[in-house]
Amino acid sequence: MSPSLFFHLVLVEAKKLMSYRVDFWITMVVALVVNLVILWALWEAIFAESGKELIGGWDLNGILAYGVMVFLTGRIVRGGDLQMSVATDIYDGALSRYLLYPRHYPFIKYAQQVGNILPDLFQSLMMGLVAIPLLGISTTADVTPISLLMAIPSILVAHLLFFLMSLTPQYIAFWADNVWSLSVMLRFVTMLLGGAMLPLTLFPESIQVGLHWLPFSYLFEFPTLVALGKIDLVTWLEGICYCLLWSLLIGLLSIPVWRRGDLRYTGVGI
Amino acid sequence: MIKVQDLRKIFKVHRKQPGFAASVKSLFRRDWIDKVAVTGSTFEVNEGEIVGLIGANGAGKTTLVKMLSGIIHPTSGKAEVLGHVPWKREDAFRRQIALIMGQKAQLWWDLPGADCFELLREIYQIPPEQYRKTLAKLSEMLQIGDEMNIQLRRLSLGERMKMELIAALLHSPRVVYLDEPTIGLDITTQRSVRDFLLDYRQKNAPAMILTSHYMEDIERLCERIIIIREGEIVYDGSLDRVMREYAPYKQLRLNVHRSSTNPLNAASLEMMGKVVECDPGSLCLRVDRDKVPEVAAELLRKYSVIDLSIEDPEIGDTIERIMAGKADETR
Repeated sequence: MSPSLFFHLVLVEAKKLMSYRVDFWITMVVALVVNLVILWALWEAIFAESGKELIGGWDLNGILAYGVMVFLTGRIVRGGDLQMSVATDIYDGALSRYLLYPRHYPFIKYAQQVGNILPDLFQSLMMGLVAIPLLGISTTADVTPISLLMAIPSILVAHLLFFLMSLTPQYIAFWADNVWSLSVMLRFVTMLLGGAMLPLTLFPESIQVGLHWLPFSYLFEFPTLVALGKIDLVTWLEGICYCLLWSLLIGLLSIPVWRRGDLRYTGVGI
Repeated sequence: MIKVQDLRKIFKVHRKQPGFAASVKSLFRRDWIDKVAVTGSTFEVNEGEIVGLIGANGAGKTTLVKMLSGIIHPTSGKAEVLGHVPWKREDAFRRQIALIMGQKAQLWWDLPGADCFELLREIYQIPPEQYRKTLAKLSEMLQIGDEMNIQLRRLSLGERMKMELIAALLHSPRVVYLDEPTIGLDITTQRSVRDFLLDYRQKNAPAMILTSHYMEDIERLCERIIIIREGEIVYDGSLDRVMREYAPYKQLRLNVHRSSTNPLNAASLEMMGKVVECDPGSLCLRVDRDKVPEVAAELLRKYSVIDLSIEDPEIGDTIERIMAGKADETR
């Protein structure tokens, strides 16, 4: 796909989303306020009840910083609400129009997914400007300009991985019309095992070892730890490479599933 | 340009019995049946030709169009469009075809037409100069102006269809599939879409396959029609031939003076043709085409005629009978 087409698709998708002004502002304000209140109330109570200074290697301000940062980066990694878009295209026949274009469907969807993160990126920046100054000083997290710069490529590769991980299950819509439940489950599992709900250091040791060999942690925890200055340069490079490797493997897996599913596509109706 | 040989498509359809128990059962076991959508279709379409694909709902028209545009794979058979197998979806093939579906919007609902066209320019890699010229020409032909800068979802159905037409033809396709392009449009817009298609055909000579339930679309646009019944082609030929073959008669309508000493009598008229209606003052008689002059002269000679008209049967009625499998009754 040519770069100009890619950027065109990205911009079209972003324009589409930003044409709904009310939705744009409500999503941002409500999501930010609800998340901040829950984070603060939950961890304040846990630290007060336990009487500990550190939990899972985090102090209170550190874990609040993690919660805010994973919320902001997670929105970009997930790329808005395109997760069901492929399954919906198959279900309602909108896939037909993409099959007519002389371009590969997954590339078009990826460009759209990237376009979908532009409003999220803009929102996350604005929310970050409001939320980060509210956080106190932590001995377990250190946000610096360099850590924030390193976080950008980490978020981009995590976004690619998330897109590919949600692509193959959506192809199941070729066989089972409705894969909504599968998509919700996948979202829940990726968020839990990816560290979007809790830092993975709070999980039992054996699970942490298992998760190390799976792609989930590169989705949310890795870019967040990078942004919080908890990853050194070598580990960062390794993480980026692992993330790309997982993307390649999962992308390759999606090809035979697409080919088999495509044979069953009906385009809705006879 | 389009060659189709023994093309078949069979869908596997889940059959669900009515009732709650059947719903519960279907959670564990499902019954599938084969639904034959297209069975052994063979035909060719040449450059500059508009072929009307006619059939009742579910006859297999759209399935055939989907296979020829490469959207779905056939169960068996061969097809070649511009030298390509459609369902292989080679880029060189997809750059040369277009599909317009009257029942399904293909553009981006939340964007104005102008943005959609720009995106399509990128997708089809249309050179900027060619894009500007084609867009200007199509907009002029369809009389589209400021509407191009309004979100599509805020346009009327007719305006949206015009946008769909522009979008589909921007890359100057050599093969165009039109699946019910005038459905739901008012009479004026239907007419302008038909005029546009004729004009476009004259200037660009693409091969076109048109499906429609409106006989006016078929009569205005197509010299040749293919009639499909339950997935099978039952007629492929010119519109004129369908009338000659399936409606080889004309209807004579006659009004006579009621006070005439020689009133109309059905029994005595049966020798001339089939009496459709008859009362003492008027008559409708179905007569073989080659006997029309002779019968008309006979009627004028025998009766005190006020008025005589000779009518061709409605083409829509004839095609409807073919689609319903009743054509042989009138042959």
